[in-house]
Amino acid sequence: MIQVEGSLKARLAVWLVVTVSALGVLLLVEAYFSSQRAAERAYDSQLEAAALTIAEAVQWEAGQPVVEIPSAALQILATRHQERVFYAVLDAEGDTISGNLDMAIPPRWRHQVATQPAWFNETYRGTPWRLYGRELDSAGWETQDPVQIWVGHTMSGRDALTEALFEQAVTRFVIMVLVAGILMLLAMRVALAPMRRLRHQLRQRDADDMRPLEARVPEEMREMAETLDSLFTRQRESRDALLRFTADASHQLKTPLAGLQTTSELALKSENPEAWRQALADVHGSAGRTSRLAGQLLSLARLRHAEEQGTATRLDAVSLLRETAFDWAQRDAAQGHDIGLAALPEAPQYICGEAWALQELLGNLIDNALRYTPPGSVITLGAVCHAQTLEWYVEDDGPGVSAEVMARLHRPFERGGRQDTEGSGLGLAIVDSIVRRHEARMQVESAEKGGLRIRLLFPCLTRHEEG
Amino acid sequence: MSIRRVALVWLLGALAPSLAWGATPLIVEAALDRQVAAPLLDAFEAAYPNIQLTFRDHSTLEVDARVANEDNPPDVVISSAMPWQMARVNEGYAQPLESPAARAWPQWAKWRNEVFGFTFEPIVMAYRLDLARYMLPPKTHADLHTLLRRHRETLRGKVTTYSPLRSGVGYSLFQQDARYTTRFWDLVAAMGAADTHLEANTRSMLEGLSDGRYWLGYNLLGSYAMHWAQTHPEVIVQIPQDYSLVMMRMAFIHRDAPHPAAARAFLDFLLSQEGQRVIAGETPLFSVRPGVIGPYTAQRLRDQAGDRLYPIPLNASLLAFVDPARRAAFLERWQREFHRLSHPAPAQTPAATEPRIDKSSQR
Amino acid sequence: MRLLVIEDDSLIARSLEQALTPLGNTVDVFTHHAQAREALQSGHFDLVLLDLGLPDGNGLTLLAELRQRGDTTPVLILTARDGIDARVEGLDLGADDYLAKPFSLAELEARVRALLRRSQQRADNRLTFGPLAFDATSGVATLNETVLDLPRRELRLLESLLLHAGSITPRETLENRLFGFGDVGSNALEVYISRLRKRLDGSGLRIRTFRGMGYRLEDAAP
Repeated sequence: MIQVEGSLKARLAVWLVVTVSALGVLLLVEAYFSSQRAAERAYDSQLEAAALTIAEAVQWEAGQPVVEIPSAALQILATRHQERVFYAVLDAEGDTISGNLDMAIPPRWRHQVATQPAWFNETYRGTPWRLYGRELDSAGWETQDPVQIWVGHTMSGRDALTEALFEQAVTRFVIMVLVAGILMLLAMRVALAPMRRLRHQLRQRDADDMRPLEARVPEEMREMAETLDSLFTRQRESRDALLRFTADASHQLKTPLAGLQTTSELALKSENPEAWRQALADVHGSAGRTSRLAGQLLSLARLRHAEEQGTATRLDAVSLLRETAFDWAQRDAAQGHDIGLAALPEAPQYICGEAWALQELLGNLIDNALRYTPPGSVITLGAVCHAQTLEWYVEDDGPGVSAEVMARLHRPFERGGRQDTEGSGLGLAIVDSIVRRHEARMQVESAEKGGLRIRLLFPCLTRHEEG
Repeated sequence: MSIRRVALVWLLGALAPSLAWGATPLIVEAALDRQVAAPLLDAFEAAYPNIQLTFRDHSTLEVDARVANEDNPPDVVISSAMPWQMARVNEGYAQPLESPAARAWPQWAKWRNEVFGFTFEPIVMAYRLDLARYMLPPKTHADLHTLLRRHRETLRGKVTTYSPLRSGVGYSLFQQDARYTTRFWDLVAAMGAADTHLEANTRSMLEGLSDGRYWLGYNLLGSYAMHWAQTHPEVIVQIPQDYSLVMMRMAFIHRDAPHPAAARAFLDFLLSQEGQRVIAGETPLFSVRPGVIGPYTAQRLRDQAGDRLYPIPLNASLLAFVDPARRAAFLERWQREFHRLSHPAPAQTPAATEPRIDKSSQR
Repeated sequence: MRLLVIEDDSLIARSLEQALTPLGNTVDVFTHHAQAREALQSGHFDLVLLDLGLPDGNGLTLLAELRQRGDTTPVLILTARDGIDARVEGLDLGADDYLAKPFSLAELEARVRALLRRSQQRADNRLTFGPLAFDATSGVATLNETVLDLPRRELRLLESLLLHAGSITPRETLENRLFGFGDVGSNALEVYISRLRKRLDGSGLRIRTFRGMGYRLEDAAP
């Protein structure tokens, strides 16, 4: 059963979206901070320029530093964004020589600026400000006290620039994602083209076309293509086997049916009741054989049918053997033989299997024994526990078979080299199938008393598996 | 008038505001002559009958002082002392106006969407007709300088201009003059030598001209002068032909405005097509907004005066003018130059009556 | 006895009728599901032979309906399907026995006889097989209407064999019945069996030994 689980495109798209979003979030966070840094750098340099412009205007008069604040400095400070501006010129004691706002500069900052110019963030009356301070060694005739110049402005320009830069970054990113997405879709189409070709080819194929594939596929699809090919090969073989089997089976069925036809035809032409009787007996016997043959063919077909697999359960091999023996011992066909059970293990022995198949297996072995041994033969069923395996055996004291024949006993329509019995030769083939199905082993050997002994070795379920 | 009648009038006066049910009060502190601005205020009251407008007219420095009054802040502040307005905005006393009119306002006439220059007033010279009898009236700054040197004795005591100390506008104008040319100081020295009278406002200068005390006035607010000249034919207004400063009256909504909605309505009205039309048509304040038709529009002034108009830039550079050190330095130089050519008895010159500069009272 | 045969193959139906009528039964044959259902609702039958593959419906539904009505008439299922699942399902639904096609008539007759006997036993609490009978209430065994005077263990052995008459009684079952769960000699059971055999001599019945499995009470002449 094919279950459709999403599409490859959707899967790729989901992965693309997930990775791109994760990457995107990182990139955007980075972009935001770098925009902020860029805006900060741009505006910090304005602060620096304004401070330098003011520094130019500092002069010493009568031992006092004086400054005539240049308009240009204030315009630089205000920037295009019309920031509110702050400036202060402090003398060596930190007293204001000139300044416009009563923003207090902490001594800590003044000390810091004494060594090198620095930028600070400050909130003044609820508004964030960016301040810059630098010290100026001014030279007068009488004194040479340093002068500190402090400038600052509000941050709306920085925010706006950050926003603009960030917006650009986002735009670039979005465009990149769109382009990447489109390219990805195209790439997907190109990459999936061989798959489409293969699909097309498979769709065009006739139902019974089992020839190997002829398609150009990329490396990644080689395995799939080869698997498909091998599937086709197996199907071809299986179909051939089925055809062979059906042909064999038809042939097998046709023969007894032809017999029935000719016998009944002869009987109908005859006037002799004795001949009728004989013909009817023949017809009865042949019908029995034919229906048995049909049953076996059905079993074999069923065994080979893939769908029947996978219904194995844990079951007690000893009681199954006992029940099957009871069943067969009471059948009409068994009344001429001595079917018996050897001593069985007391405890249940569990194996994994399908009850119907195992019954079929034993039934076939018993049936074979009944058919290929003379009346009165002793047939014994038994179960033996080994370390890893459980053994079933069916032995008889009949004539047995030669070693050469023993090797091909399991092939369909093989009758152990004999044509004189009522068997179809399918029995052991069925047995063989079931044995393989249960991962068991079958050994055919000569029994001690001269007959045939068939041993079936099943893997035991361990304690662990039983749990 | 009996005491009872006085009491009744007083009572009516006290009740009057409360008679207008649901009216929002609006307090405007302005350095703007009420008479000049009357048509504008009337138009506003007509457009907003629900707003009870209180318009207080003061000098620029007084208006500036009231901005910082924590207990009783005004709603709207209007002043022609551009540096002081700018400084207040920089200090954060203004709140932004978010309106279509504010956004559409020309960039050169606003700052931070908080303060708006809504008039366009040329700075002029004015003279009495009498002057023309003795000399060719001045058309340029250079003319004025020449006249002061050549006719020093004729003009002695008959020239007037702003006191840079007592008037914020005057101080700003001189600062601006000084930025353009160093010859300005020669003019100051010449004015000092002619014992020029320093007045605190344009109105005093115009009154002096009309009653004959003065013959020549320098750096008068063109708006007031033109308004005055309409009713006083003896006064002639001259826009300087070399360069003419242009001053903008700046208005902002106080950060702590008690009636912000009314304040926004008022400022929006000043910037609106209607308000600007009234300014252009019914006051000599000159409108700023482009596309307004009337006798007093910035565009018309530009057409007349051409490239010679030098609007005082409305930007952060104004802040430099109110820097205490810079102001002190400027005023000091003003004093020095003013007395440079005068007689060695500075105490008797009118300029010497100016109080000494006191840093604490600079704003 | 009145038998109902539900079988669509006319050849088999006729064979069944011909085979079962001589045994002293009345046989009604129906070839369709619907007819059979009507017959079952209106009349009483002692045994139903039900073919699962009917042209107008699954025989199992008919069986389920029958059992749902509380009808306990014994049902013998005949089918060409020999899958164990179908067999289990049939038995689960309340079938009493199951016979896969093809079958021999002899086997069919044996099964029918056993089912009828069992239903008879349920009815009168008597175990019978041929001339042999055992009354479970009185604990008296008779052979050809003659009371058999048997010792206790032989009587129990006879009862057990009669219970399973026609099929193998497992030797474990017999040992438990005779000796309880105690350990006994391996041939103790054989001793009692041979005693019982002697008593049944000439009765037309015999006890057959199935090597390693158990014993079966059966007709002497196969």
